[in-house]
Amino acid sequence: MTRLAAARPGAALALLAGAAVAALALGLTAGSAGFDGLADATILWQVRAPRVAAGFATGALLALAGALLQGLTRNPLSDPHVIGVSGGASVGALAWLLFAPEAGVAIGAMLGAAGAASLLLALAWRVTARAQQPLAGAGPVGEAGATVLLLGVMIGAGCAAGVSLLLALAPEGRLRGMVFWLLGDLNGVAAWWPAALALVAALALAWPRARELDLMARGEAWAATLGVPVARRRREALLAASIATGAAVATAGAIGFVGLVVPHALRLAGVRGAAALLPASALAGGAFVVLADAIARSAFAPLQLPVGVLSAAVGVPVFVALLLRGSRR
Amino acid sequence: MRRDAPGAVEARAARPWQAPVRLEIDGLALAAGGRALLSGLSATLAAGERWVVLGPNGAGKSTLIAALAGLLRPAAGTLRLQARPLADWPAAALAGWRAWCPTSWSDPFPLRVDEALRSVAQAHAPGSDAAQTRLGALLRALDLEPLADHDVGRLSSGERQRVAVAAALMQDAPLLLLDEPSSHLDYAHRQMLAAALEAHAARGGLVVASLHELDLAWSLATHALLLQGPAGPPGRRAVGPPGGADDPDAELRVWAGPREAVMTPARLSRVYGVPVAEVEVCGERRFWVGPRRPGPA
Repeated sequence: MTRLAAARPGAALALLAGAAVAALALGLTAGSAGFDGLADATILWQVRAPRVAAGFATGALLALAGALLQGLTRNPLSDPHVIGVSGGASVGALAWLLFAPEAGVAIGAMLGAAGAASLLLALAWRVTARAQQPLAGAGPVGEAGATVLLLGVMIGAGCAAGVSLLLALAPEGRLRGMVFWLLGDLNGVAAWWPAALALVAALALAWPRARELDLMARGEAWAATLGVPVARRRREALLAASIATGAAVATAGAIGFVGLVVPHALRLAGVRGAAALLPASALAGGAFVVLADAIARSAFAPLQLPVGVLSAAVGVPVFVALLLRGSRR
Repeated sequence: MRRDAPGAVEARAARPWQAPVRLEIDGLALAAGGRALLSGLSATLAAGERWVVLGPNGAGKSTLIAALAGLLRPAAGTLRLQARPLADWPAAALAGWRAWCPTSWSDPFPLRVDEALRSVAQAHAPGSDAAQTRLGALLRALDLEPLADHDVGRLSSGERQRVAVAAALMQDAPLLLLDEPSSHLDYAHRQMLAAALEAHAARGGLVVASLHELDLAWSLATHALLLQGPAGPPGRRAVGPPGGADDPDAELRVWAGPREAVMTPARLSRVYGVPVAEVEVCGERRFWVGPRRPGPA
């Protein structure tokens, strides 16, 4: 796989697309009574199909956001959940539910994600500017990279406090809807198409600029000397990551580790360069969440686990294993 | 097409390598971290020349290189490339004319050596045969062929430095700005670096490189830029201008010109704060650096 992915990114993408289709088919056949090939048509199309579609779109969005944020922060450990962007989306969504009609909650989540991501990058830029960015060569090296992660963790902590504050402030009438949304996962998905729409928008924003994003990940000042309009590309990628995170969180709540594990695993499997990594992350992330959700629904049937539990149960050990392997890449 | 002044049209119409590269420094002053590093630097750097930038730590070598690359705004003065102020160049057009190689690199994501180099060429002309030929020639010139499929994150410091220089050469821009390109390099690879830079200048390029080794600088350079820096030589900080009030160089912090005029043992001694003498070894000029004399001057 490593050789194939490095030499023929097109073939690797086709392979991932096949895996994604297989995951979707498996997701459609998985039910609370185990895997049944021929479920009732009503259950299949009214219950499972929207859930599987939403799961796929959510996973694709989270993995895409992870890949973009890792490039932007020049840190392979970045993830919308870890660096507080998901937290920002939660605050945005709850604030929206507090003051506005429930239907547009995705807009609130995207605004919140954009706020958290912008704050993070503005603070990160201060760190690197203090280190005299063009002179420090390729940019935030080592210490500054860790600082970016810590800044993100702090933003996440602030957002968690913000969620508590909004819940405390909420009037009785709104509280129920907010708590329901906060606890929701794929189980309570209302509609899958906003997430799919966001996926198309985020990919359309970032994918055409993949080569330039790669150069920026190796050093923004250096990329600028190669003619890359760094500030504009950074804004576009930030917007794409915010749309992706906001839509994912609005659809299925904060599912951790997808954005961290999927791009990292793909890189170690030999998918290099954003041109291949961005669509590959979307495909693999979608397949990952659909499979995790299928297992969450059927493994302990009739009990249904939240998909975040499954993604963490898979994601944490896989990530640790990859990290140990990656340290001697 | 927009209409411009005749000179500007000429500058814009010429593609890299089709017109001789020319960089004019006019009354340049630089500051970093709130302190002035150098002022009043004027020089004209032309095609075929090899300039070395010398000076003690903190003298402003990296700042000068970054300013020449157009990455920093000068505190005063102007920089003109092909008679056009550096600040007026569109980034994409400038990328065809000048390449910049910083001192330090971080490689957060896996990347093979050949990928690292190919991506630089692709930023300009995707998938051209010339780029492939160039890649092969550069891998050979800097002894990177055995490392072509290695990950840049697993290279030694010296190997990584050679990849950085190769990436800058891969950009195929006439003006080549290198910040300490010889750091971490062993003797053989320093000579390969010097040969590659000489070849670049010989085909009409202009090389500007900051260096710490006087012998390497002397053998590589046709011209030199010597920076005194704000602090003065080590051990003489806050004592006053170097050399005393009657020294003609007292108010200057920077010297520019042919290497013979700039790299004099007396001046090098004063700037670096160590005794420097000229010696001849096997018919070639070398610099002997003695132990630093303790105490204030």
